Amino acid sequence: MVVQSDEELCRKVAEHDAAAFEALLGRHQARAFRLACSILGSEADARDVSQDAFIRLFESAGKFDGRSRFSTWFYRIVVNLCIDHKRRNKWWRRMVSFSNPDDDPDSPPVDPPSSEPGPEAAAIGAQAGRRLRVALEGLSPAQRAAVLLQTDEDLSGREIAEILECSESTARVHIHRALAHLKKTMKEPDR
Amino acid sequence: MRYTHPRTELAPYLRGDLSAAERERVARHLEGCARCRADADAYAAVLKAIAFESAAISEPDWTDYRAEIHRKIAARRAPVSPERARWKLSPRLAWTSIAAAGAAVAAIVLLLMLGPRPEPGGAPPVEQLAMEDAIGAADVGLLRDYPVVEHLDLLENYDVIEHLDEFAPADTTNEKRS
Repeated sequence: MVVQSDEELCRKVAEHDAAAFEALLGRHQARAFRLACSILGSEADARDVSQDAFIRLFESAGKFDGRSRFSTWFYRIVVNLCIDHKRRNKWWRRMVSFSNPDDDPDSPPVDPPSSEPGPEAAAIGAQAGRRLRVALEGLSPAQRAAVLLQTDEDLSGREIAEILECSESTARVHIHRALAHLKKTMKEPDR
Repeated sequence: MRYTHPRTELAPYLRGDLSAAERERVARHLEGCARCRADADAYAAVLKAIAFESAAISEPDWTDYRAEIHRKIAARRAPVSPERARWKLSPRLAWTSIAAAGAAVAAIVLLLMLGPRPEPGGAPPVEQLAMEDAIGAADVGLLRDYPVVEHLDLLENYDVIEHLDEFAPADTTNEKRS
């Protein structure tokens, strides 16, 4: 069986081919969800936003002009929706303080349910993960997207620049600033 | 030319994303610059931590996920209700509503601007002032004939206002006597 490229499938989606849409959905659902989850930091939001990206794909596949790779075009949609979502919710997040103890740096470490790999190591790991999530929250949406596209999607600077619609040097600056901020924040002792 | 620290090239260097010439230049710099070497090591650790954290994301049930997408698409394609469609397709109606709202706001502003000011010296009760403002300010002569508006809360009930003509005037002779 001949495997169709993403670009071919996208052209078929533009012609209302339901099977082609299913194929693209199957290929990209996990990456889209994970990317949205990394950027947004919430599985529920990531689910909604990544689903919206697929709805956009379904409705505007005809706008894909084939000048870039399908994945670049599609991840641009995902990232833009994530950035919009973060901007829309920024004022709300400032107003509401979440009561999730995981988000509170002052709360004691949560005991893991399993003794593997050891309660102490797990607590340290959980603490590091919590610090990283807090540090990621301090990044601008573009910085966050740039660094996560590099780590999660293993994209090159040129591909990240295409997705963020900026120059490659700007993408490098985003990544550098993001890493410098993360390094500094993660080094700071717990308050 | 003065060569600065290749800070923005450290991440691409770690990923192997630089051209051979750039990679060579950064590698040479790192050999002689302890600060950039420390930064590169720290960046590598941060990138590793992010990748580790991302790998821990739990995936949803993909069957549910896809079904939900199809439901959302179907909902967007579903025909809108006739009532909503009437509003959506009738810009005239929308503009009329906006104009009516604008006129109401203008009337309230006029009411506030042209209303009588309290006279110095006297300190009439608050209820009386409110009554005078509401009745005396605007051109609402019709309302003066109806003691029913003695209670201002009625002004919030537009149904009552619309049907004021249907109310029989109250007999005020007893009040005048007292």
